[in-house]
Amino acid sequence: MKKYKILIVEDEASLQESLREFLSMENFETVSALNGDDGIALVEKEKPDLILLDIILPKKNGFEVLEEIKKNKKTEKIPVILLTNLESAEDVNRAFDLGVTTYLIKSSYTLEDIVKKIKENLGIG
Amino acid sequence: MKGGYGLGKPILAWKTKMKITNDLNLKRQASELGVSIWQTPSFLFIVMGVINIIAMTTTFIIARNYDDPRILVLSECIVTGVIFFFGGMIVNGVEQIARLNRAKSEFIAIASHQLRTPLAAINWEIEILKSKFKKGLTKRQLQGIENIEISTKHMARLVGDLLDVAKIDQKRLNLKKEKIDLVQIIDETKSNLRASLKNNGIVLKLNVSGRKNEAMVLGDLEKIKLAVENLVSNSIKYSRKYGKIEILLKKNNGFWVFSIKDNGIGIPNSQHKQVFSKFFRSYNVSRYQAEGTGLGLYIVKNIIKESGGKVWFKSKEGIGSIFYFSLPVA
Repeated sequence: MKKYKILIVEDEASLQESLREFLSMENFETVSALNGDDGIALVEKEKPDLILLDIILPKKNGFEVLEEIKKNKKTEKIPVILLTNLESAEDVNRAFDLGVTTYLIKSSYTLEDIVKKIKENLGIG
Repeated sequence: MKGGYGLGKPILAWKTKMKITNDLNLKRQASELGVSIWQTPSFLFIVMGVINIIAMTTTFIIARNYDDPRILVLSECIVTGVIFFFGGMIVNGVEQIARLNRAKSEFIAIASHQLRTPLAAINWEIEILKSKFKKGLTKRQLQGIENIEISTKHMARLVGDLLDVAKIDQKRLNLKKEKIDLVQIIDETKSNLRASLKNNGIVLKLNVSGRKNEAMVLGDLEKIKLAVENLVSNSIKYSRKYGKIEILLKKNNGFWVFSIKDNGIGIPNSQHKQVFSKFFRSYNVSRYQAEGTGLGLYIVKNIIKESGGKVWFKSKEGIGSIFYFSLPVA
């Protein structure tokens, strides 16, 4: 069975660790970055199957990361799930305009819910 | 604050300012907003009114007793000056209060948002421990984790309430209009609150008129769930042990009307006007030591109003309360 690779771009170390651990236990391969710049570099280098992206990030924020991913022909088709605590209509609309497939509020979703959304996006639900 | 979120001081300051009180007299309102009583609009209006009456009476007396028109003109100039002076102060006071209110709402929004990140971290760790390492845990350890989970949920609820209030104040609730089923929402709420119902020996009954098994309305699923949960948990909280709660859903003129009746402590007549105000706590509540911030009904009112419905209630102290809301049929 194919092991899907998930890139986690999250600057809160504890959240990133929980995500990495849970996803590994659910049979996903994970790579992670703590800031926007490293996130962009890893997208090119690792070619993940899906990206879990925070919005408030050091160096480059989530929207900037998203713009770069979507501008690049090699990475534009990678599904991106935004995982954030920002929930204003303005942020949600901006994310969908930039081509995000799913927008999740961290504090409202369990890890199991997040895995479900990842599987839906990968078409393996 | 090493490794922290830098929220200690602002939260403490906010807590001090927003001391929950039912005694919202003018002086207290002014001090909560951080302005002096002299700058509150109501006070300035009173002062202006009094000065106006004195000045007008003086003008009238002068006009009657002196024939010199210059004195009349001079006294009218003084009156106009006084009006402008205090008018300016009123505008200044109103602006300052509006500015402070905006700053307060923004602070609440930022603080609540920042608190959500550590809450997510705690929740996800609890989830990992419970779902992936349960077998390695002793009964006591598992009990400890469950206690942390209950407290975290409680805290998440309080943070959510604060965030909702900030959104209401900033007029940014942004509710969705989707087809949702009130019966399903009530069933879910009942199931979420079953521990609380059981602990208090309370029976909750749901009746839908016409024996229908669904009541489709237009609203935002998450927010209507929150409104229903607030009303049901209030009924549980203010019911006496072994009480009875009845929920009725009735269709009326293009609306589904939800009502929840309890035989709890009720609300004193003198406080009926304040029930849906922010931070409202009835004075007969402390005797029963129920927890709460007084934000629940304020949130319910605004969610229902924004969804195109209405909220109202009937209550009698010592007898119980009935809370109603209506939502457009989908």
